[in-house]
Amino acid sequence: MNVVAWEHILAVAGGIVVFLVASFALRADWKTPGLDNQVFKLMLGLLALGGILATLTGLQIIGKS
Amino acid sequence: MSVIAEHGGIAEHIHPEPQGFIRKYIFSLDHKIIGIQYLITGMVFLVLGGLLAELIRIQLMNANGGFLTPDVYDEVYSIHGSTMVWLVGIPILTGGFGNVIMPVQIGARDVAFPWLNMISFWLFPIAGLMLFSSFLMGAPVAGWTEYPPMSLQGAAGTSMWCAAIFLVGISSTLTGMNFLVTILKMRAPGMTFTRMPLFCWGQFATAPLLMIATTALAAALAALFMERQFGVPFYDPTRGGSPVMWQHMFWFYSHPAVYIMILPAFGIISEVISVFSRKPIFGYRLIAFSSAAIALAGFMVWAHHMFTSGIAPYMQLPFMILTFVIAVPTGVKIFSWMATMWGGKIHLTSAMLFTIGFLILFTFGGISGVFLAAIPFDLHVHGTYFIPAHIHYVLVGGSVMGIFAGIYYWFPKITGRQMSEFWGRVHFVLFVIGFTGTFLPMHWLGAMGMPRRVATYDPQFQTINDVMSIFSFVMTFAILIFFINVIFSIRNGKKVGHNPWGARTLEWQIPSPMPYYNFKHIPSVYGLPYDFTEPLPYAHLEEELTDSPVPVGAH
Amino acid sequence: MAVASVPHEGQADQLYVETRALRLQGFLLFLVSDLVLFSSFIFAYMYLRNSGQGWPPPGITRPAIALGGLNAAILFGSGATMHYALENFKRGNFIRYAWLLIFTIILGALFLGGQAIEYTTLFREHITWAGSGIFGASFFTLTGMHGFHVLCGIIYLTILLLQSVHGVYDKQRYFGLTAGTLYWHFVDVIWVVLFSIFYLV
Repeated sequence: MNVVAWEHILAVAGGIVVFLVASFALRADWKTPGLDNQVFKLMLGLLALGGILATLTGLQIIGKS
Repeated sequence: MSVIAEHGGIAEHIHPEPQGFIRKYIFSLDHKIIGIQYLITGMVFLVLGGLLAELIRIQLMNANGGFLTPDVYDEVYSIHGSTMVWLVGIPILTGGFGNVIMPVQIGARDVAFPWLNMISFWLFPIAGLMLFSSFLMGAPVAGWTEYPPMSLQGAAGTSMWCAAIFLVGISSTLTGMNFLVTILKMRAPGMTFTRMPLFCWGQFATAPLLMIATTALAAALAALFMERQFGVPFYDPTRGGSPVMWQHMFWFYSHPAVYIMILPAFGIISEVISVFSRKPIFGYRLIAFSSAAIALAGFMVWAHHMFTSGIAPYMQLPFMILTFVIAVPTGVKIFSWMATMWGGKIHLTSAMLFTIGFLILFTFGGISGVFLAAIPFDLHVHGTYFIPAHIHYVLVGGSVMGIFAGIYYWFPKITGRQMSEFWGRVHFVLFVIGFTGTFLPMHWLGAMGMPRRVATYDPQFQTINDVMSIFSFVMTFAILIFFINVIFSIRNGKKVGHNPWGARTLEWQIPSPMPYYNFKHIPSVYGLPYDFTEPLPYAHLEEELTDSPVPVGAH
Repeated sequence: MAVASVPHEGQADQLYVETRALRLQGFLLFLVSDLVLFSSFIFAYMYLRNSGQGWPPPGITRPAIALGGLNAAILFGSGATMHYALENFKRGNFIRYAWLLIFTIILGALFLGGQAIEYTTLFREHITWAGSGIFGASFFTLTGMHGFHVLCGIIYLTILLLQSVHGVYDKQRYFGLTAGTLYWHFVDVIWVVLFSIFYLV
């Protein structure tokens, strides 16, 4: 397989892992109080979104070259 | 909001006062010293900027010019505008008055981040020197707004201008963060937002503007710098860039910037007017919340500077309407101040005279601003002398009058001595006469179509220009009297007690000049500071004016 | 704020709690102003992009999506490891914290490496910062600025790692680590936006 295919596979794998980890962390942190934790939750949510985007990119559903 | 506990927290924590001259007066961490440094540096730049203004007026005494070459004339008005906005108005009103007075008024011992405060200050004179050094390599010629493509073609000094304004912008941003955290977190027990003095409300509304708007300008300046130095195309239309983009980014900062220069002045006026009318301020909440409303709406009106720049018609109308809307909270303030004076026992001190002058001149400038917001009128006068007339009415008639009022008002607190009231009145009378004679005729010149930023002009305008120049000398003379009064009063002014005006905010309840630690005990607050018939709404202030030592537990 | 004299027991905690609250708010405000800086450049990019030539402008090839996607996954992954580094530190699991932090730094460095490959590929096609019109200007300025933030973040996290090895932070007082995590998350999340606007639309 060529480099590009490996890049796609790694992006999909990484994206899925990021999405799962971020969602799990968000769930675990859901009820934590404090200003810093509120910001962390927002960041984790966006990180999960980023995981989805990376996955879809690797699957060549979105993205333009 | 969490109230800081009375014992054991930062509020009660006192640093030992540094003893060496350099640590005490140069690289000081004390908010009062830093504020005074800001005031002095700002005043130096006021003199320099004022001298540049006089060069402009001398040049314009003759329709054919001849005093300066057209190139030098362009450099002079560009640096005049940049100096007055970034090195005089913003630093004096936020860094200067905000540092000296705001922490004391909220009952704190210092700002939240004293080191950051010192860095903010020291960036400012460095930026000022950089700005003036641009004269050595060909200063910017496109005015204080530096529109491309002209700023792309300017001499090397234009890049220096970018760097200087970028630095002073970092200084503003850091000050804004510092003040915001200070006001949010370090108020004395019982000092709720609805008991905070209105000057602090002015600073509180200004701080987010300093923080957010200035960063947007930093991006625009960085792009201009990159385009000039490295040829990266952002603004050059021949390479795909857009000069109008600069105008968007610049005015997204610079419209809030005029509120940065006027909201603290509103705060000063609110303090002075209540004290010298001996009446509670009328509509405390109205004034406080309208400051916040102005700050918020200030972000949504920037394109009213660009009606002639070719923006889409469907964008013009909302900006015109939103600009009209801003006149409402401003009008609320003006009427509240008038109602405060109504039926009060008015003491016509110098500070109060400047406040009344502010009310009249600023209202005038505000109304010409409403004129300019109307697109049909703006299309007629855009780029004429009507624009300088408007901006000088709001920035000199507004901000600078507010600065003078604040200095006459707080001078006894800063130095322990009072400025000469007689010379203060002379200053006021000459200043208002000179100001009106200089800037009122600009409205007519603008309506008649004299373009701004030109070194020579049609001879039919010469008489009016000569009159304006002569009156501008009167104004400069008035400012000279002010400086002599300040310098004389620092050493020889009448010694006054801790509260010569009978004011009720916290800074007047401690000795003058203010001690290093501000308060021996952090006070508790029970009410608004404006009710002149009631006893003072503070507790734990009994020892401030006595000789009792700073309590050991506070260390 | 430097603590000049150590107060007695109990007082120190109160002082720490308040100092931490101030610093947290100050640091978040710094991130807000940094966000405004990025937003301004993103505005500039959007404005130029919609100024009528079509996107990408004629004669420009966009950076490869495959490498871009992988790079994004790497950076987002570093955000996840950083999050768990802080969580483990809070729970007192120092060894796992240190490994996760090291892993975060490595992922950050990998991201920068991926960006370097991307840049050299574009340079080989003669697409440069100053020589390729508004595409070069906006792409290299924004991603370069972001890369600079990543570089600063790697240095910051390395300092934090060394500090925590020397015992600067303990289970009660670890504001530096919170700030580092906030900063790293900020850098990640900015890339969600930049990735979307440069590679996906």
